[in-house]
Amino acid sequence: MRIVHYINQYFAGVGGEEEAGRGPELREESVGPGKRLQTLIGDEHEIVATVFCGDDYAAGTAEAAEEILSLADEADPELIVAGPAFTSGRYGVACSAVVAAAHERGLKAIASMHEDNPGLQDAGVVPVVESGQTARRMKGTLERVAAAVQKLAAGEQIGEEEGRISRPRRVNVLADAPAAARAVDLVLARLGGDTERTELAPPDFDQVMPAGPVEDLSEASLALVTEGGLVPAGNPDKLESSRATLWLRYSLDGRDSLPEGEFESVDGGFSTVAADEDPHRMVPLDVARELEHEGAIGGLHPEYLVTTGNGTAVAASKHFGVEWAVELHKAKVQAAILSAT
Amino acid sequence: MSGNDNSGGETHPGLTRLVHAIEDVELGEETKLEGGRLTVSAEEAEGILADSALAQVGVSWVSPGESARIVKVLDAVEPRAKGDGAGGIFPGFVSPARPAGLGTTHVLRGVAVVAAGYLPRAQEGVVEMSGDAAVLSPLGSTHNLVVEFEPSSDASWGDVDTALRRGLLKLAVRLAEAALEADPDAVEELPAAPAQAQDDRPRVAAITNLQTQGTFKDVFVYGSSMAGSLPTLIDPNELEDGAVVSGQYGHPGLKNPTYIHQNHPVAAALRASEEAELGGVIICPEPVDQAQKELVSALAARLCKTCGFDAAIVTKEGGGNADADVALKVDALEELGIPAVGLFAEMGGTEGTAPPLVAPPTKATAMVSTGNYDEELELGEVERALGGERIDLRDADAHEAIELPHAAIYCALSPLGWGRLTCEDAT
Repeated sequence: MRIVHYINQYFAGVGGEEEAGRGPELREESVGPGKRLQTLIGDEHEIVATVFCGDDYAAGTAEAAEEILSLADEADPELIVAGPAFTSGRYGVACSAVVAAAHERGLKAIASMHEDNPGLQDAGVVPVVESGQTARRMKGTLERVAAAVQKLAAGEQIGEEEGRISRPRRVNVLADAPAAARAVDLVLARLGGDTERTELAPPDFDQVMPAGPVEDLSEASLALVTEGGLVPAGNPDKLESSRATLWLRYSLDGRDSLPEGEFESVDGGFSTVAADEDPHRMVPLDVARELEHEGAIGGLHPEYLVTTGNGTAVAASKHFGVEWAVELHKAKVQAAILSAT
Repeated sequence: MSGNDNSGGETHPGLTRLVHAIEDVELGEETKLEGGRLTVSAEEAEGILADSALAQVGVSWVSPGESARIVKVLDAVEPRAKGDGAGGIFPGFVSPARPAGLGTTHVLRGVAVVAAGYLPRAQEGVVEMSGDAAVLSPLGSTHNLVVEFEPSSDASWGDVDTALRRGLLKLAVRLAEAALEADPDAVEELPAAPAQAQDDRPRVAAITNLQTQGTFKDVFVYGSSMAGSLPTLIDPNELEDGAVVSGQYGHPGLKNPTYIHQNHPVAAALRASEEAELGGVIICPEPVDQAQKELVSALAARLCKTCGFDAAIVTKEGGGNADADVALKVDALEELGIPAVGLFAEMGGTEGTAPPLVAPPTKATAMVSTGNYDEELELGEVERALGGERIDLRDADAHEAIELPHAAIYCALSPLGWGRLTCEDAT
C-alpha cells in the first residue's frame, strides 16, 4: 500500500518551538522516524511521502487537517500513519485530527501516542496504538506501529493485542429491560460476589501536573479565562448553555470593569444570578486591572477566553484546553486564571 | 387491612393503588371518566390553572401515535387522587405537608398532565408522539394533557414557575378525582417497606439523589426544596402520593419529572423482583460543593448500614456534576461493605469515543449505562407541535425534521432507570 506519514516539525528535523507556527509541507520520501518505520514495515508497503507541520499551526488552525490531507493527496495515499506523538499534546491533537479526517475521506488510518495524550479522544473510530511517554521509547513504539500497519493494510482489526489504546465507539441501543430492572440484576450479581460485571467501564483520567510557579509575576503577562459562560449581553455569538462545541474570545482592551447588564452568563449548570449582578465573579477584571496598575503583574492579556463547562464532553474540553494553551503560548502569556463553576 | 392478622408474620400498613386504565381522551362539557374514556372540561382546567402570574393558559390533548411533537417540555405529572383512608396527595402543595403513603390512591394510568413553554434557564426538552423516538420518553406512550401558557408581563419568572407547578398538580388531582366513583381496572397492594428482613432475600435500598441547584433546578419534598438537607429514609409509598415534586428543568434527557418520581422505577423493579426485597428509599440532595457532596454521600452510606440494608442502587438527576454524587455514594457504600450499583448516562461525545463519565467511582465496579447523551438522532417532520413554534436549541421550526442529541429528548437517559436505552461497543 501507498502510505503517507504525518509528523511534526520537530521530528521532521526542521526546528523546535521556534518553528511551531510553520504550515504543512510535503516531502516525497520517508523522513525522521519514518525511515526506521519503512525498514520495519518491509517492502510490501511504501511510505511514498511525509507531510510535516508546526505544532502550533496544526493544533491551532481549524483547517490544518484538511490542508495536510490535501498535500498528502498529491502522493495518492491509501493509508495514513500519524505520529508517534508520545505525550506531546499539540502533536497528538494534530495526529488525531489528521487520521480522523483521513477516515472521513475513506482512507485507512492509524495514529500512535501515549494514553495520556489529550489528542487521544479526538481520533474517533480510528485505531490509536500506544507509544511510550517520550522519544526514548521510539524503537519499541515503531515496531508496534509497523506491526499494526501491516495488519491494517491486510484488512484486519486493530485491537488491544496490537496495542490499541483508543476506546471502541459506544453506540446507543435499546436493551430488553429498563435500566432499573437491569440495576436489580446487577446488584444481585454483585451480592453474589461478582466484581467484573458492569455495563460501563470507568475511564482512566490522566492526572495533570500543575506548572511550576511563575518566577516573577511583575514581569508576567496574565490571562483571564473561564468555563462559566460569561458573554456580552444578548449572547451575540450564541455560546451554548450546555454541551459546548465552541469557545470564544472577547476584548478587554480599554476596559477596567465588566458592568452589570453589559455581560451575562449563559451557563446552564448553575444559578447565574450572582454572576449577572457582578460579572467579575466570573472574570475578575476589576482586581486584575488594579494589580496591573500597582505593577504586581506585568500585564493583562487583552482578551478573555470563554466556554461553557456544563455537560461539555471531556474530549471537547481537552480540545479547548489545547487550543487555549496554543493561543496563550503564542501571545507569550505566562499565567492564566481559570474560573470554574 | 386491620393489622390483626395472626396467621403469619407481622403485617405492615401500606398503600392500595386503585388503577384506572385510560384508553381514550377528549375535551368536553364536563370532566368525567366513563368506561376508560377520560373527558376534560377545558374551561374547568383553565380555571384551575388560572393565576395572577399567568396572562393566559390553555390545555389540549395529544395522544400516542399522532404525528405530533411537544417542545419546551417542563414538568409532567400522573393524575392521582386520594380515596378512602389516610393522608393527602402532593403533600405540601395540594394537601397539608403531613406524612403520605397510606390508605388508597386512585391512579389514572396512561395519562400525564404536561407543562410546556418557555422558562428562562430551562433547557429545551422534546417529546415525540410517534416514530422511533417515541419509545425514548415515558410521555411518548401516554395521553398528554398539555398545558401551554403566557406569563403575565408584571410577574417574576419565579412566580410563573410556582403558578405552573401548583396548577399542574391541582389539575392532575382534579382529573383523578373523576375516577373516585369508578371501579378500578386493577387493585395493587403496596405494603410499606418492612423494618426487618421478611425472608432470606437481600434488602436493597434505592438511594435517590435529587437535584438541588436553586430556582428552576430544584426538587421539592413535602413542598420544600431538598437543598441543604441530609439523607432521609422515606417509605416508597410516600413517593406514590407525590411527596417528591420536580421543579428541575435542566438537562431534559437526564430529568426526573414528578411523573417518574410517582412511579419510581428502581423501587418498582425491586418490588417486582423475586430475589431481592425493597428495603426503602433514601433521598439525598445533590449539593453544589465537593465537601457537602462527600458529607451527604458518607451519611447516606452510614444510613444504609444503620438500617441493615444488604445492598443499594444509587441514582442521580442532571449532568456531569451529578456523576460525582453517584460515584461518591457507591464508593462510600462499598467501603462499608455494602455492594452498590450506580446508574450513569454516558457523555461520550457525538461519536461515542470520548470518556463516558466526568467523575467515575474508584472502588465500586458495577454500573448501569442509560445511554450516550451526546449521540444524535433524527426526528421526522410532524403535523402538530405543542409547547412552542420553534426548537430554540437548533433555531428551527418545531414541525420540521431535525437532528437532536439524545440529551434533548425528555427522559431519554432517565437517571432513575425508567428507560431501555443503553450503550454497546460498536463492532
